[in-house]
Amino acid sequence: MKIYLDNNATTRMAPEVLDAMMPFLNDQYGNPSSFHTFGSSLMEHIEIARQQVADLIGAFPSEIIFTSGGTESDNTALFYGIGADSGKPGLVTSVVEHPAILETAGHIEQTGHPLGLVSVKSTGSVNLNSLEELVNPNTGLVSIMKANNETGVIMPVKEAAEIAHKAGALFHTDAVQAVGKIPVDVKAEGIDLLSLSAHKFHGPKGVGALYVREGLKLNPFMHGGHQEKGMRSGTYNIAGIVGLGKAAEMGNCFIAEEALKTASLLEKLETGILKGCSGAFIAGASAERLPNTSTVLFKGVESEAVLTLIDLAGICVSSGSACSTGSKDPSYVLTSMGISATDANTAIRFSLSMYTSDQDIDYVLEVLPPIVEKLRKISPYA
Amino acid sequence: MDHFMNPRNVGGLENPDGHSEVGSPQCGDAMTLDIQVDNNDIISDIRFQTFGCAGAIASASALTELAKGKTLVEARKIKNSEVAAYLGGMPPEKYHCSVMGHEALTEAIDNFTTLRDETRKHLEAIVSDMPVELERALGNSTITIEHVHPWKVHISHMNGDTRKIKEILEKELHNRLGNLVEVKIG
Repeated sequence: MKIYLDNNATTRMAPEVLDAMMPFLNDQYGNPSSFHTFGSSLMEHIEIARQQVADLIGAFPSEIIFTSGGTESDNTALFYGIGADSGKPGLVTSVVEHPAILETAGHIEQTGHPLGLVSVKSTGSVNLNSLEELVNPNTGLVSIMKANNETGVIMPVKEAAEIAHKAGALFHTDAVQAVGKIPVDVKAEGIDLLSLSAHKFHGPKGVGALYVREGLKLNPFMHGGHQEKGMRSGTYNIAGIVGLGKAAEMGNCFIAEEALKTASLLEKLETGILKGCSGAFIAGASAERLPNTSTVLFKGVESEAVLTLIDLAGICVSSGSACSTGSKDPSYVLTSMGISATDANTAIRFSLSMYTSDQDIDYVLEVLPPIVEKLRKISPYA
Repeated sequence: MDHFMNPRNVGGLENPDGHSEVGSPQCGDAMTLDIQVDNNDIISDIRFQTFGCAGAIASASALTELAKGKTLVEARKIKNSEVAAYLGGMPPEKYHCSVMGHEALTEAIDNFTTLRDETRKHLEAIVSDMPVELERALGNSTITIEHVHPWKVHISHMNGDTRKIKEILEKELHNRLGNLVEVKIG
């Protein structure tokens, strides 16, 4: 028995995606940049995928650059997006970003760029007043995630983009957890740069995209054979790109047809946990969240002990921290929301997908409460 | 694995002879441990509670099993490798999880000996500088301290008014220590 509820870590690749990719791992192995027809005819498939990805986020195909995934897209957006149009050096991002943003931002700060970190409210949503205060005429780029990977809280990206633009800064969003789960519209939301990753929405690992708004030119970040308008050289990962395209197409269908079902399963899970586990509460419960993500705090019960026990029952979930180095750092996402370090160490993240069934949730609700109860009995803090 | 699924010696003791609280929940690992110690310095009962990972729970369970029935001196000497062996092996990256159990046990034993030293100190002070009424109750005999426990002391004397002696000593110890200490004579 395996119940996979760790879809914010990665998802199962859709069988349809694998089918779409197979020819390019098999006999259609040519290089799309080649002169001969065997290779160059494959460029058509790259362009179909580009259209599929563009459609998922309301972009033009010409605005999509294929990358190796979310981390590369985030690094690129930050390293080359700051002041790409204006030369202004300042960077502003939020305290709850993914490490791909925060670590990169810290590195960029060390090279002499001023860095501002926007706080979040207790709901888990970024504090726009804090953003207003931190953005100044020197700011070249503002980067605010579309949805948080731990809490699933959806950020006010449109409003944040307006604040950035008012100050003459570009706006980037790390939409890795949002794309394919909720509608994202780069034009309506005023987004200049956006990162996405295929494997978060049933595509293959190792491929993603960076949306770069028309008219904006980034310095080349991979020098070489001039692929992707010279901005990102490197032989096309054609199977991966085709897989991303197919996953994007399916993502549009998911948002239109299946997201509501996932949201209702999530609600069933949350209701059942709150009823079955005394002292449990949900991080960012009052905020607008992704239809698939819930971080639950089981007061007094250390998260890794829960992880170990439910892993034995075949349930895959995750916690915000890991007990591997001797001392544990509680999740910075949760503590920045005002949750105590003690409570943050009790957090378990459940993330669903289109493959999650009603029976999966029933099983979790059957297995989990006795486990939590058992650990509460051992705990001095329950 | 069994020690994680069904940890032994979980909980707390109502009137522990030694108690400890180590770690901190902010850092993701914390434990409380209680011990009961008999007249021969043997750990007769032991209980723990923990806010910790599977490794911490299992190793604390094993450690308490190993410590039960041992003298305080022996219990202090239980090694990490013995806990690992008792559990049938432990991955090296989980060794740090078991350190907390050792800390908790050592601190509980320290707590017991500190409390006992305190009781002994006051008892010796009373015996060497006797209140007049105690001297009177003893007649011409002297007190021999047989065994000291934080809340129970065992003494003997040659003759005199046993009930009176017990009453005076218990009152004196209570005045000095602020808690009740049972005096056993014989």
